[in-house]
Amino acid sequence: MSYKVTEEGNISTVHLDGEIDMDVTEKAKEIIMPLIEAKKEVHLNLKEVQYMDSSGISVLIESHQKATELGTKVILKDISKSVLKVIMMAKLEQILNLD
Amino acid sequence: MNFAIKSITEQRDFVVSSSSLKEVRSFSREVFEKVNINQDLKDELVLAIAEAAQNIVKHAYQGEDTDDKMEIKISLENGQLEIGFFDKGRPVEEKNVRHRKIDDIKPGGLGTFFIQQIMDAVVFKEGEKPWINHLVLTKNLNA
Repeated sequence: MSYKVTEEGNISTVHLDGEIDMDVTEKAKEIIMPLIEAKKEVHLNLKEVQYMDSSGISVLIESHQKATELGTKVILKDISKSVLKVIMMAKLEQILNLD
Repeated sequence: MNFAIKSITEQRDFVVSSSSLKEVRSFSREVFEKVNINQDLKDELVLAIAEAAQNIVKHAYQGEDTDDKMEIKISLENGQLEIGFFDKGRPVEEKNVRHRKIDDIKPGGLGTFFIQQIMDAVVFKEGEKPWINHLVLTKNLNA
């Protein structure tokens, strides 16, 4: 997994690239959580994520819940077909912010 | 359905580690490339296999570093897919393996749910020596 972060005002956009599994979830959290803790609105661009498993979905849930707790939000952008399928399998399409 | 090949059996060993999950997926994709099923189903089967391998790392070994190997065996015979997982970790008791309630939104507990969604049957067996656990996932690809 690789990533790029861009900032615009209070919005931080994290472009994730590659496959997100148990092996990289800690790294993903290290990237995303400090932005949420800084009360940024975080946009996760998932266009280039070709694979995500239950560990990756856990990162999305944890990020969403942390953001809600701190009064900000995480929005999932440009979700790849394969990631959307896993989000739907987990029945989270009505819970997470999908754009 | 025509499966391109009638019968296939392939197996491979992997070090029990989260860093092996990528190899597990590669192996699974290689095998399913030889089978005439649609890409969505291939992706689902790869996810189920990777989730089961992840469960071995997380639960049978509780994330501990080890040199132990796990074995994954994929067999297809007349449209009946059987995937075996063999490990030497802590004995898994089937009654302790359950996914979280799907409407209880919290991180974790989804891997087993995904496996059950994708496969027809999930059976835990006692492994024959030298294995401790033997998990069998099955799916009828003719359905």
